[in-house]
Amino acid sequence: MARYTPEKCADIEEIIRDALQNKTPLQVTGYGTKKNLGGRVLARDELSLSAHSGITDYQPEELVMVARSGTPLIEIEETLDKNGQMLGFEPLHLDKFYGQSTPGSLGGVIACNLSGSRRISAGAARDYLLGFDAISGRAGYFRSGSKVMKNVTGYDLSKLMCGSFGMLAVMSEITLKVLPRPEFMTSLSVTCASLAEARSALSIGFGSATEPSGGAIIKSGGGFNAVLRLEGVKISVDDRIASLSALLEKTGTLRLMSAEESSEFWKMMRDISCLQKDAEQVWKLSVTPSYAPQIIAELEAKYKVDYALDWAGGLIWLGGAGAELGAAIRAVLARQDGGHATLMRAPEAIQASQPIFQPLDAALGGLQSRIKTAFDPMYILNPQKIELGGAADANAL
Amino acid sequence: MLLPEPEQNILDRRDEIVGALKSLLPKGCVIDDRTTMKAFDSDGLSAYRNLPLVVVLPETTQQVADVMKWCRDNGVKIVPRGAGTSLSGGALPLSDGVLLGLGKFNQITEIDFENRTVTAQPGVTNLAITTAVQDDGFYYAPDPSSQIACSIGGNIAENSGGVHCLKYGLTTNNVLGIEMVTMDGEIVRIGGKHLDAPGFDILGIMTGSEGLLGVVTEVTVRILRKPATQRAMLVGFDTVQEAGQAVSIVIAAGIIPAGMEMMDNPAINAAEDFVNAGYPREAAALLIVELDGPEVEVDYLLDRVATLMKGAGASSIRISQSEEERNQFWAGRKSAFPAVGRISPDYLCMDGTIPRKALPEMLTRMSAMSQKYGLRVANVFHAGDGNLHPLILFDANAEGELARAEEFGAEILRNCVALGGVLTGEHGVGVEKRDLMGEMFTEDDLKQQQRLKCAFDPDHLLNPGKVFPVLHRCAELGRLHVHHGQLPHPDIPRF
Repeated sequence: MARYTPEKCADIEEIIRDALQNKTPLQVTGYGTKKNLGGRVLARDELSLSAHSGITDYQPEELVMVARSGTPLIEIEETLDKNGQMLGFEPLHLDKFYGQSTPGSLGGVIACNLSGSRRISAGAARDYLLGFDAISGRAGYFRSGSKVMKNVTGYDLSKLMCGSFGMLAVMSEITLKVLPRPEFMTSLSVTCASLAEARSALSIGFGSATEPSGGAIIKSGGGFNAVLRLEGVKISVDDRIASLSALLEKTGTLRLMSAEESSEFWKMMRDISCLQKDAEQVWKLSVTPSYAPQIIAELEAKYKVDYALDWAGGLIWLGGAGAELGAAIRAVLARQDGGHATLMRAPEAIQASQPIFQPLDAALGGLQSRIKTAFDPMYILNPQKIELGGAADANAL
Repeated sequence: MLLPEPEQNILDRRDEIVGALKSLLPKGCVIDDRTTMKAFDSDGLSAYRNLPLVVVLPETTQQVADVMKWCRDNGVKIVPRGAGTSLSGGALPLSDGVLLGLGKFNQITEIDFENRTVTAQPGVTNLAITTAVQDDGFYYAPDPSSQIACSIGGNIAENSGGVHCLKYGLTTNNVLGIEMVTMDGEIVRIGGKHLDAPGFDILGIMTGSEGLLGVVTEVTVRILRKPATQRAMLVGFDTVQEAGQAVSIVIAAGIIPAGMEMMDNPAINAAEDFVNAGYPREAAALLIVELDGPEVEVDYLLDRVATLMKGAGASSIRISQSEEERNQFWAGRKSAFPAVGRISPDYLCMDGTIPRKALPEMLTRMSAMSQKYGLRVANVFHAGDGNLHPLILFDANAEGELARAEEFGAEILRNCVALGGVLTGEHGVGVEKRDLMGEMFTEDDLKQQQRLKCAFDPDHLLNPGKVFPVLHRCAELGRLHVHHGQLPHPDIPRF
């Protein structure tokens, strides 16, 4: 059992080349904060990028930042904040959720495509990765993308790296598009009697010209609080709050949050602290927003579940218990026109007994396996972190 | 040779191939007479023309799958085509390939205001999506100049942009799901009305893959509520360098306008002669800045931008006072290409991107190149995102001018890369920039991209000859070269 902590890109290449020659797969990590997210990796040796760290280029006026993959997310966010900027996709911080001391590395956030509440209005991590360089599972160095905003030169491999969970290549440097931080932020809370009404309030908000940057629902007392976040220059936010209030007047009881309360609320969503802490299992459901109330109603009919919604209802954080819960969730999703469910946290036995990610059909599974093979033919990198399906999976060492 | 050498055995089998395709498709879906096929012999890059082996226009996804499976089984190449508006030759036919047109896929299948999505067949035009939802106050954000004609399926293939992608993103940021057919004839659905489909992001790599990975048969996109107010500002500058710097100054101040376009003096005057937009003819460069949102926000930001522009040395500033005037401001920019077409027999439209801060340097280099090649150039930029569209003016009937114009264009793109930019911002590589790929990527970079292609199309049957200057066989690409081509451990299984 070895643990490698390379500092330079060339060292990463060397480690992967050795792993390939010795047929010893690698668990690829940053600070190891998300080892419990995804499948159990079939590797004894660990390649940690924690020493491959540092912001190498930051040009606020170009909205571009380049950093090594092992750079702590906190360092990235603090540096941007000092310059009045931010990561547009508002990454999730999973440290509290997984009982870790840090939310991990930039590379981890990108590899897991961890996008927060702003996903619904501003896009995912994958929409902000302009370019990268990496070492593939073939021990080959390659680059893709650039430092410019608009680029269609060749395949957009950045998209493939986001959400690949380190299974295709190990990123060395990551180039991000960053955004100006809004001058002012506040949120409007709408208390409704039913989940369907709260969901509908979000739909009205997002269908209006008031440009919400976040839309979440949490249970509150016997009712449901739909919370819509508005950001921008103060004069504009004030104006949009007035318009939004007029639109939602009849939907429920309105309350304007203070800037501080609003900030705390969205931090809670970012940290997934919106669920009760003691849930045996936590699932992430990505669904068609308007179907969310029906999906939850069907699950509540059979299980005791706790939940909070984000992305205008398109994201359901769901806590519950029971060996059959996962199958029940996926059955409901299949009836409700698709969507997908990921098991985010559960005791080992529950994790081992079912697919962590949504299983893919045979055609898609085959394609996924062939993509894996195109980058990592010997399954050296993070084998089994995502179950791919398809015949090529049998190549796994 | 521009395209791969046609395979003689495929050309010899033409009658058999046409017969087989006719048996797979309804009457009227196969076009094999040369006169009718002429309509398909080129796309928007009309300098290149070539007749396909045969044209098929299927009507259903299953028919697309049947055609692709038959072609895969029989080693016949396919070139997919949307509306044929590609500016890089992405839909240029192959003499030994089937041209697969999606023109009959022209229906919008679902409009869902509650979830803000539209689902459409790939042949629906970009503008038709906005038209279908605008009465309800919505629109589809990416707006390529060809939006009246270009298809949404083609937009996926090319990852099309437009003047508003500075704030609202490109196609890739606005598409939620697709149904596609692989070269194997498998029908695959990715995404939908929910976000971030599981597994590797196939939707992401399909977008901008220029028809090399699969054929899109259905598209689901995000629609947005039309902003309450849109106003535009015309800003004149005495030097192009000052205008270039002004663009960076606005972004650095934390303002992301809905659009920020730039035209140089030749483009200003060509547009002014054509549509009388009220542009300052004497200005060396003109910026069109559009802001959108609630009225109070737009007023406030226009004020701030005006102050920044004055500080950057603006020689004139005009703000649109009505929707009519805003449209007039844009009319000149939107007709810049035909306007330039009036002052020159021919022009080449280039499409590189550079970091914003390199704009002044690039413009200085551009005028030096113009002198060197003895050809005029008019510049139209999506300045906010650094996307350049230099129009090189030439006369195709003058001996050697086309070749000189192409060399000029190539040098512009090499300069884009040298300044930290890229070969193409939104038009695609196609055949046009294929042979310049080595300027931006190493052989290893390109081989890794082609390995991805092998995962979808191991026999290179789908749109070969586009994007990649050299076609490596997938078996060769799959080999592991561990130490400079020497496999130190021959016991490792190879593929």
